[in-house]
Amino acid sequence: MFELLKNLGHWLVSGSQWSGSDGIAHRLAEHLQYSLLATVIAAAIGLPLGLLIGHTGKGAFVAINLASFGRALPTVGLVVLVFLAGGLSMLPVYVALVALAVPAIVTNTYAGMTAVDPDVKDAARGQGMRGHQVLFQVELPLALPLIMTGLRLALIQVVATATIAAYVSFGGLGRYVFDGLAQRDLVQVLGGAVLVALVAVVLDVALAGLQRFLFRHRTA
Amino acid sequence: MTIDWSWIGDHTDDLTTLTISHLQAALTAVFLGLLISLPLAVVAHRIRPLRGFLLGASNVLFTIPSIAIFVLLLPVSGLTRTTTVTGLTVYTLVVLLRNTVEGLDSVPVKVKEAAKAMGTRPLRTLLTVEIPLALPVIMAGVRIATVMSISLVSVATYIGDGGLGQLFTDGFQRNFPTPVIAGVVLTLLLAVVADAALVALQYVLTPWKRRRA
Amino acid sequence: MNRRTVLGGLFAVASVPALSACASGITSLDGSGASSGGGGSSKGGVTIGTANFTENQILGYLYAAVLTAAGVKTKVRPNLGTREIVIPALRSGDIDLLPEYQGALLNYLDPKATPTEQGAMQNALTLALPAGLQVLPYGMAEDSDAFVVTRETAQRYGLASLADLRKQNGKLVIGAAPEVKKRQVGAVGLKEVYGVDFKEFKSLDSDGPLVKGALKKGDVDVANLFTTDTDIKANDWVVLSDPEHLIPSQHIVPLIADRKADDTVRKALARLGNVLTTAQLTELNRQVDKDKKDPEDVANTYAQQHGLVK
Repeated sequence: MFELLKNLGHWLVSGSQWSGSDGIAHRLAEHLQYSLLATVIAAAIGLPLGLLIGHTGKGAFVAINLASFGRALPTVGLVVLVFLAGGLSMLPVYVALVALAVPAIVTNTYAGMTAVDPDVKDAARGQGMRGHQVLFQVELPLALPLIMTGLRLALIQVVATATIAAYVSFGGLGRYVFDGLAQRDLVQVLGGAVLVALVAVVLDVALAGLQRFLFRHRTA
Repeated sequence: MTIDWSWIGDHTDDLTTLTISHLQAALTAVFLGLLISLPLAVVAHRIRPLRGFLLGASNVLFTIPSIAIFVLLLPVSGLTRTTTVTGLTVYTLVVLLRNTVEGLDSVPVKVKEAAKAMGTRPLRTLLTVEIPLALPVIMAGVRIATVMSISLVSVATYIGDGGLGQLFTDGFQRNFPTPVIAGVVLTLLLAVVADAALVALQYVLTPWKRRRA
Repeated sequence: MNRRTVLGGLFAVASVPALSACASGITSLDGSGASSGGGGSSKGGVTIGTANFTENQILGYLYAAVLTAAGVKTKVRPNLGTREIVIPALRSGDIDLLPEYQGALLNYLDPKATPTEQGAMQNALTLALPAGLQVLPYGMAEDSDAFVVTRETAQRYGLASLADLRKQNGKLVIGAAPEVKKRQVGAVGLKEVYGVDFKEFKSLDSDGPLVKGALKKGDVDVANLFTTDTDIKANDWVVLSDPEHLIPSQHIVPLIADRKADDTVRKALARLGNVLTTAQLTELNRQVDKDKKDPEDVANTYAQQHGLVK
């Protein structure tokens, strides 16, 4: 165990490990690119959907079950299926990552919307606000904390799962995990895993900071 | 992409075996996860300083890619079921621990004080008052953990296990969609059935909840 | 320091964390060396492991078919992973028997080994194997690693042999399974023996859809495939010749734990080895990969047709 940690330290700090196309810097950039793009796409799909369901109150059943469904989808199976259907490209990876992220975003957005006090919405309507005004000026700001929670949760899962890109020949930090498995090089696997966890934690802390910054004027 | 129905017809036995093996791995992991997180949750609930540490630690475990956990367990437990189940158990912890702590937190202080006033001992209070009252929140965690485990079992195909996940690597290697589709559909079905069974179990376990509904 | 300890040391370095964990399991075995004859027994059943490519699974099920016919209880664990994963599992007892390839196995155990001829290699294997494991007599069938380019690439760069790759140093991309990057019969040996430097090593799979797809699409220029793959002929791909004998003889050879090696197992596997030819094995691969038949069915049918089982 100690030996493994010592080798890990060596692996992480050795200069040659950081440069080149198989270097940590490059793999890190790829991993961030996959994760962020997938989360942005998922947000573009999930946010409007969650807002719509929350605002209209229709389709709540769908929102709740979508979460279950999303959690149950086996990522490996989805990646292989899209690969077999469409050939080798990043598409299978993005489909799987987006499918993983959308449910968390939809359900949390929906939950945030339903948590808004109905009296507040009624008051807004009483003041003559139109439907979309109530949505964007009242409900959305009040639901934002939970929406942010959903985005953070989605991002963490996507970062951990983006490892799968390496299974279908692409890069990212998963390269170290899959190559390390094939070569039975546990230091490499551990190095990849630690870096993935680090990326997830750093992104999560950054988003939490952003959240605090955005809501700094609000009292609990 | 077409489905080769005759392949499915010829492989019902294999599909059944894989489905059972899949479910067994997932359920064992959730059971072990519960065994570990219950005492940890009680500690986190009672001892405030440890709470942040325990929840934080389980959150960090969650950020480690599942395949890496399986591979890193190889020197310890090899290419065995133990490796699969241990890896999955680690993943259930984050959900189970958080929900169990939240469940225990949700028990009204007055109820605990009443139990204390009646001279009920702490352990007895925990087992007969707190845990039953926390059950709905705990069960919500169990449901999430179960569905998640069912989906994750297939990752263990990279270490030669993985239940229905073996259909994914097989289909991938041979450019053969049918086993992959069968694997995805069966995984989803398993998740739906297991979730429904847990809802039923919760209904049986919390009779006092029914009157309100 | 004698040869065995040197090799043992190499082996230990190659898989440090793995072996430290299973060392206790190995020392408790009664087999004193790779060549030790008796002592094993297949009475309790034999678990056959296979690596992560089609042919190895077919071979695993063929082993199972002939052993079952000889009255041995068998269990096949398909698709366990690469040699780097499967051999430690053999040592720790998760599996007992493995279809292997002479040259590739020898290179794994001792990257500096020089023999390339079958008989010499069998002796070298026996020496190089860690205590507790042994190889049984090799069979007729052979499946070599091949470094393959498309007809077009061969013409454009004037490639006929591995030595020709050197003229394009720094320009070509090679695609292979991740483990090939660190293997002697792979990037390491190509550099050492032929002085070849690639522009990039792309981690793909073992003669699977990724590496073949990448070769077709032109994402890689050179691909590591197996000679028993019918796709090489079907696509008119060019196998680069190997004048320096980097790629050793690759006859199929059963690798077994001493604890399970008894005469019943030896006889049954030897019979299979003397019947199965390279052409037949190639055909079995085709049936699984192209006709989508089960490796198990293909193996059982073959064993029946060739009188290996009653």
